[in-house]
Amino acid sequence: MNEIDSKKLLKMTLYTAEILLQSGAETYRVEDTIVRMCTSRGFDYVESFVTPTGIFLSLNNKGDKPEDIITLVRRIKSRSINLNRVAKVNDFSRQFVSSDMSIEEAFNILKDIDKIKPYPALIHAIFGGIASAFVTLLFGANIFEFMAAFITSIMVTFSIKNLDKISFPPFLTNISGGCVATIFAIIFASLYPAIRIDMVVVGAIMVMVPGVAITNAVRDSISGDLISGLAKAAEAVIIATSIAFGVGFILQLWILISGGKLL
Amino acid sequence: MIYLYDFIIALTCTIGFAVLFNLPRTAILNAGFAGGFSWVIYNLFHNITHSSVLSTFVASLAIAILAETFAVKFKFPATIFIVPAIVPLVPGHALYYTMLSIIQNNYSAAVRYGSETVLVSIAIAGALTVVLSVNSFRKLKRSPN
Repeated sequence: MNEIDSKKLLKMTLYTAEILLQSGAETYRVEDTIVRMCTSRGFDYVESFVTPTGIFLSLNNKGDKPEDIITLVRRIKSRSINLNRVAKVNDFSRQFVSSDMSIEEAFNILKDIDKIKPYPALIHAIFGGIASAFVTLLFGANIFEFMAAFITSIMVTFSIKNLDKISFPPFLTNISGGCVATIFAIIFASLYPAIRIDMVVVGAIMVMVPGVAITNAVRDSISGDLISGLAKAAEAVIIATSIAFGVGFILQLWILISGGKLL
Repeated sequence: MIYLYDFIIALTCTIGFAVLFNLPRTAILNAGFAGGFSWVIYNLFHNITHSSVLSTFVASLAIAILAETFAVKFKFPATIFIVPAIVPLVPGHALYYTMLSIIQNNYSAAVRYGSETVLVSIAIAGALTVVLSVNSFRKLKRSPN
């Protein structure tokens, strides 16, 4: 394979890695995919170093001089969770490794995968509502709390999705999510006495909980990527803290306004 | 009977989270099943031991084992099934009461709820670690290269 080809392969692999990392894949999966894809095309020197914020990749062809090693670095800034894309790229990389697909063909498949949109915002909001309403039932809520959590959570999902869209800082987005959840919970609780604030808030904050970050932190740590593992764990802690901060802020405010009692 | 009720509710709620995380359509129901099943396990152990940390640990073990089985069967990465299924186990309750106790200047309660939050999170992570490392060890043995 000549030099142009190896550069093309490098670009294609980086594109694959970028989609994976931006859609919420674990870094160990990204590194594994890169190495498998490159070694399947006869490269004997493949080194990749992936962190949640960047991809570093070096390649050298069999028989080439060590000076000919090519390296590319790609910085990853935006991340959103789309596990559908992770599954699709995973399928694609298996296909690529086991067949002799051309690089142009691979690029086309990747572009199609990159175009996969998340489910529409309305579907997200409704299923967010369903998720948290049923969580409250698991903790023994009554039917009024169920309805309140459903509406509150739709509001929370809508507001965090819209804040994400205008790339509001993630920390502030989660604080606002906690605030919205608590405000609606307080409104519902003061309208109807059978509704407990805690049930509604606990249900509604569940849609912001860092499930992906926790899972990825564990998987990265046990596969030896300690830096990524710690980074993801820190992300999980920061998300949890910011949710609690938002909830606490509004609760404190309400206690001050209502004169020391919490309904 | 009460377990069937729990199963259906946890299944519905896991399906909700699955859509939020944009799971592939064909995987949504399986993830929901993992969530429902794990909640039944959680309740079973909670009724016997009254320890939320232990019950969460066992329930997460169940999720991780189911996810690995599904991963082999349906050719999806195991993470896809794990992520939505663990969310109902995440200690949102304890997190809320930690915050509430801090606001009410009740620091001993805050420490109690706070340590519950941390311990339950560790239980989830620990259970996932056990299953996933056993599995990666098995894969390593199968293909020595």
